[in-house]
Amino acid sequence: MNHLSSETFDQNAKAALADSHLRGALKNATSLFGERRKAAAASLPNWEDLRSEARAIKDDVLSHLDRYLLEFVGNAESRGAKIHWARDAAEANSIICGLALERNARTVVKSKSMTTEETHLNDALEAAGMQVVETDLGEYIIQLAEEPPSHIIAPAIHKTRGQIAELFNAELGMPLTDDIARLTSTARATLRDRFAAADVGISGVNFAIAETGTIVIVENEGNIRLTTSLPRIHIAVMGIEKLLPRFADLDVFLKLLPRSGTGQRLTTYQSYITGVKRQPSDEGPEELHVVLLDNGRSRMLAHPVTRQSLACIRCGACLNACPVYQQVGGHAYGSVYPGPIGAVITPQLMGIQKAAQLPFASSLCGACREVCPVKIDIPRLLLHLRAEISPRQGKLSERLAFKMWAQVMMRPSLYKLSSVVGRVMQRFFPVSKAWTNGRDLRPIESKSFHELWSNE
Amino acid sequence: MNNVARETILKSIRSHLAASASYDKQEVSHGFPRMNADQNPSSSVEICGQFKASLEAVDGHCMIVRSDNEIAQALTNIIQGGRIAISDNPEVERLLQLTDLEIEELGIAPDAHDIFRFDVGISTVQAAIAETGTLVLDSTRERHRFVSLVPPVHIAIVKASQMYRTLGEVLTLIRKDKEVSPAVTFITGPSRTADIELTLAIGVHGPQELYVIIDEVS
Repeated sequence: MNHLSSETFDQNAKAALADSHLRGALKNATSLFGERRKAAAASLPNWEDLRSEARAIKDDVLSHLDRYLLEFVGNAESRGAKIHWARDAAEANSIICGLALERNARTVVKSKSMTTEETHLNDALEAAGMQVVETDLGEYIIQLAEEPPSHIIAPAIHKTRGQIAELFNAELGMPLTDDIARLTSTARATLRDRFAAADVGISGVNFAIAETGTIVIVENEGNIRLTTSLPRIHIAVMGIEKLLPRFADLDVFLKLLPRSGTGQRLTTYQSYITGVKRQPSDEGPEELHVVLLDNGRSRMLAHPVTRQSLACIRCGACLNACPVYQQVGGHAYGSVYPGPIGAVITPQLMGIQKAAQLPFASSLCGACREVCPVKIDIPRLLLHLRAEISPRQGKLSERLAFKMWAQVMMRPSLYKLSSVVGRVMQRFFPVSKAWTNGRDLRPIESKSFHELWSNE
Repeated sequence: MNNVARETILKSIRSHLAASASYDKQEVSHGFPRMNADQNPSSSVEICGQFKASLEAVDGHCMIVRSDNEIAQALTNIIQGGRIAISDNPEVERLLQLTDLEIEELGIAPDAHDIFRFDVGISTVQAAIAETGTLVLDSTRERHRFVSLVPPVHIAIVKASQMYRTLGEVLTLIRKDKEVSPAVTFITGPSRTADIELTLAIGVHGPQELYVIIDEVS
């Protein structure tokens, strides 16, 4: 897989900026999602109340996470689910591979799950000899292309129909076409065979309800229903923060999530799975396994600022709203979680040294905070992370320049002198090409504001 | 092994929470006023009309009828025959027998392997939500998990008395059951995707066509 690294965000971003096709695709996608979200939010008279309510519920969950986790586990187990605790990605992967191997599974169908992207589960399953098939259309496309997802809810957003047609031609032997309906129906037909043959279905989880032990998964395509209905074994993988206390809380979150993600009133399907079937003759899997993944999450509870990262419901709205994401796209972040929320979560999950550039990949404009359905104060989080990073980082020249600037700004005489010098020097020393490549640099005015003011 | 992981994670949660400064958290208001809470219950005609409009907005088809014979007529208008899979609700088979369809093969709740060869799936539902055009299927009441999912066409027969106005009402209803059903599915329109160039394509994994027949008189 051609994974870019979070450590090289600056270079990744430069490469992305030079890709005009990518930028066109990003512009279309982010503006369309953005407009739809806005219209969908406006269709509810109490949108702001819903956001506050959602955040209050998540705050309650996070500040009593141990209690709600145990309540969920007790209720899910009493209804026949098997619970597995995984401290990190390797442990989660080894639990899941173990479950599949013990049952002699050969084919695993997967529905879209950011959490299993985070643990790189597919690599582990393949290394264990399993055939793994991603079944979400976008995920299937990028799996064939051997690329990571570039958007939380639209993983193949960076690919054109032409590129996908070439991919299907090479991998599936399908004649070239520019007809999206035909590409889609070819994927449907190919994946039906995989569903029919699958021994194990692996899904993510959107919400886990403590009071009933229910897991809730939302989607539009139907591949999650197939993944969680047809194979004999269903394994659901969730971060430990996915809990909601009560079933009724879904009324709030099911209004916020689809509207924030795609601008839909409701996604086409929601599956509510509570334990295993009651009679062997009932429809559905015989076994349900739920893997609870920590992988750095419990650490984020230690500070009230970082803790709010765990309120995220993975809607992708902050990606679409972000002027940086809009230009560079998801791959540049070098993380399965891109955009503003990715810039916040990635350093906390992977370790701050491995993603030290990400919290700086923002102008702190606040657009992400405004669209976030659970009111995560992402700019504040970015500043918090920057403060942790900056004493260890930064170029010497940059630090010196800021020191000089501070000295000049504190002394009026020096400031006056510098503007005179600047006016003259500007004629002889053009500033950095990187700046003037895309825009003109205005000359410094011949009279300063001070001078104009005193002449009046 | 699993116990060690469990204890480690719980310990980590507790110690990090304890180390944290107090949280500037907002109060949870359990009595939050839900949408439409103050609206009067509407007539059956009105609520069925609202369901139809909501469903059609997401590319589903909806027919409102007034008798068994009209249900049979609606079924005949939708399907020409072929291989039909029905749920185990005897009501579906009874209504199907009122039609003069030429049924090539009839399967009653076929299993996960059998279901793939059917052209049409027919079921009833346990509830419906008017504000979103949503069908609510509870797998403990009817074997319709596969017939509503795998065939390219799904037809659902709904009674007006099963119609609720809001999502919140139905969530409360599901929760009220002493034992929550192992599998409840909400369906709002046919399967869809926009994963290629954000262009809408209908029928990617689930049914390509969804028909809902509402018996308004029931």
